[in-house]
Amino acid sequence: MTKYLIRRLVHGLVSVIIVVAIVMILIYSCLDRQLIFAQDPVFTQLGNNQKIVYQYRKWEDYGYIDYVPYPEWLQSIAAEENLSQEEVTALSAFAQKATGDSEEVAAYVARFTEYYESQGYTVTRLDAKMSKKKVAPGGQQQLYAYKDKPLLGRLWNYLTGLISVDNIHFVQEDIGERGLTFTLHDPLYGGKTFAPAIIGNGTLHKYLLYTDGKFPFIHQNLVTINLGKSYTVNSGVDVFQSMNAPQGSYVSSVITYPTGHTESSADDLHSATYAYGSREANLVNRDRFTDDYTNVVTVKGGLSQIGYSFVIGIIASALAYLLGVPLGIIMARKKDKLVDRIGTIYIVFILAVPSLAYIFLFKAIGYSLGLPTTFNMDSNDWRMYALPIVSLALPSVANLMKWLRRYMIDQMNSDYVKFARSGGLSEREIFTRHILKNAIIPLVHGIPGTVLGALIGAIITERVYVVPGAGNLLTKAINMYDNGVIVGVTLFYALLSVISIILGDVLMSMVDPRISFTSKAR
Amino acid sequence: MNENLIDLKDLNMSEEELFSHVDHSSLESEKITAPRYSYWRSVFRVFFRKRINIVILSLFAVILAFTYIYPLLVDYDPFANLMNSSAKHLLPGVAMERLGKNIHWILGAGASGQSTFDAVWFGSRISVTMAFICAAINLIVGVVIGAVWGFSKKVDIIMTEVYNIIGNVPYILFISVLVLIFSAGFWTMVFALTITGWLGIAYFIRTQVVIIRDREYNLASRCLGTPIMRIAMKNILPFMTSVIVTLAATEIPSYISYEVFLSYIGMGMSDMSLGRLIYQAENAMLTPGWQFEFWSPVAVASIITIVLYVVGQNLGDASDPRTHM
Repeated sequence: MTKYLIRRLVHGLVSVIIVVAIVMILIYSCLDRQLIFAQDPVFTQLGNNQKIVYQYRKWEDYGYIDYVPYPEWLQSIAAEENLSQEEVTALSAFAQKATGDSEEVAAYVARFTEYYESQGYTVTRLDAKMSKKKVAPGGQQQLYAYKDKPLLGRLWNYLTGLISVDNIHFVQEDIGERGLTFTLHDPLYGGKTFAPAIIGNGTLHKYLLYTDGKFPFIHQNLVTINLGKSYTVNSGVDVFQSMNAPQGSYVSSVITYPTGHTESSADDLHSATYAYGSREANLVNRDRFTDDYTNVVTVKGGLSQIGYSFVIGIIASALAYLLGVPLGIIMARKKDKLVDRIGTIYIVFILAVPSLAYIFLFKAIGYSLGLPTTFNMDSNDWRMYALPIVSLALPSVANLMKWLRRYMIDQMNSDYVKFARSGGLSEREIFTRHILKNAIIPLVHGIPGTVLGALIGAIITERVYVVPGAGNLLTKAINMYDNGVIVGVTLFYALLSVISIILGDVLMSMVDPRISFTSKAR
Repeated sequence: MNENLIDLKDLNMSEEELFSHVDHSSLESEKITAPRYSYWRSVFRVFFRKRINIVILSLFAVILAFTYIYPLLVDYDPFANLMNSSAKHLLPGVAMERLGKNIHWILGAGASGQSTFDAVWFGSRISVTMAFICAAINLIVGVVIGAVWGFSKKVDIIMTEVYNIIGNVPYILFISVLVLIFSAGFWTMVFALTITGWLGIAYFIRTQVVIIRDREYNLASRCLGTPIMRIAMKNILPFMTSVIVTLAATEIPSYISYEVFLSYIGMGMSDMSLGRLIYQAENAMLTPGWQFEFWSPVAVASIITIVLYVVGQNLGDASDPRTHM
């Protein structure tokens, strides 16, 4: 069993990797790169050479290419070759035409060209664009090298960077004695109360492990999951973090900073990360912090995107099973009677009508009943959850009813039912004790999928009711060409679907002893 | 003696003329006499036995007429009343009063003073045509590939992998990338919906084929040396007619729904399909007096999908030979 499951898991992971590769081909190779400039006001204002260079710079930001301008390369080699800042500036000033370069500059330009061409880059030199003996607007000379990122390298970098572990050699600058300290009394709580924590020096996060009063009480910053950096949707933040970060308005409390300064603030000191020189540079930080771990996240009142989606999704699925299973049983028992007819009409309605139409219908009905039709993170009105939950639950009720009725009716003519009936069992007993147990097995397979699917969220429902959930992340990312987010979200979806199928099989074999995944049965 | 009897001698015929010897024909003896049976005639007999089917079918005909014939007869210009500020967002009663009592204004006027009724039917022509084309392509490709997939063990291994992988790529991603690569036109949409859409159908058919493939009568057929092609065409395909018809019944409405969904999330086509009408009129839903322009396309889309679904399901039921008794 374990062996089989591990094989399935490995198999699933391989197909997830292939999915990521396909998505990378789709968005990095198939899509027209020019599209990202369609709504870019800066791009339309620029002209001449500047426009071309701007394109390449943006393409690098969006992750399409590697792009190195000549001055940047000079900066990067300055340390190795002991060039002073003045020399770098002098060498960066290449002439308007290649023929006008001074001897020294020409030598460096030649080195630049040779170095990058040997690595497969394309080196381009744009001569200055002149109009009436003056340089035209944006027409300055440019020299740069660029290369399309190869698919395999991109995939490899992405997969190896997925999980990063914080270590004491993270900070490159001099930071004093590096190391981890374990304390039973977290200094943030005054150093007296019992609160175990691991504090690092030289790591990215100050607190690698800490406890607080919030679920799940023990938190870690040691292992970080990086699904992909966002560029347009949530600039510079990893998708996984933006899905899990709390939203809403700030929640302030009285906080004592490491210097002893006390203030009412929403800063979460446990989230402190390293930022070089930040204490010296900022008077506010100097008052509060004793080291360069000053970069903190703020405490917010709402749930995260996944949080909202999950709360709504999980309640809706629980409701769906609670309603759908008994209704399915009743429909099967009263086959061809009035209950069955009404149920069938409902099922046909849900199956045939576009989901958008019935969600709007629910919204209109809810509106006339006085329920809030839009979601507001800062209000404590629990009724705002009602409509999204109902809109998600009612279609799944129809689906459950449809399949349970079908499976139960299929079972009704089996021999064991006839035997039970001849043995004198009541119809109710036959249905709930015997038929249901057999008919529900295929439905059990879908339960892990429903639970994990709640993490993904629902596109239309969340849009219609303005729920700040995770369902719209993919569509938003596609609309804004945020390639990092698209890849990250796809990986997340693919992993969830692979895991939920495997869990479904396991659950099914637990419910039904006849199903076994040992090698003999296969 | 009975007086009706005729004496043979009165007929003046020879012995050979009166009686002839019939040889034993082994070919004839193989024939089994049974009432003539036509599969499709039985299907329609069963289908029309239910009254409700006639009603729904005529509704279907009316919808088709409005979808395909009505747009040919009227001249629809969405921007004809653009400058007329008193012609926008009107309820049916007011619209008929201001713009004339005719069929165009029975659903009121929309945001740019256009007739909601006309807009809905021009939109449904695009949506329904797309649904039919997509369903036709997906069903043909899906059934053919699914049949091969079910028969060949080698193909099965490859295709199952392909199915597992493609199934994990979000559908929206495929569609939006295609919409972005090409323009957001009608044929792009068809292409986007069919490029991976057949895979689900093929998988479904494959499962059905695998179930039927190893039944005794097929085993017997194979033992007698029937070529696989003929087994597929003569033994298995007839068995699956009702499955395929039922599948078509769920597929066609699902493309209309899908088109509505895609338009709503902003990835639909640029033509004024039903989905795009709904998307554009969304704000009108909760505005008093404007509801008609939102609910009309929603209602028409729902009616079309329900009618298509019910016709298809009942036809699927009727095409199952077990109901022909």
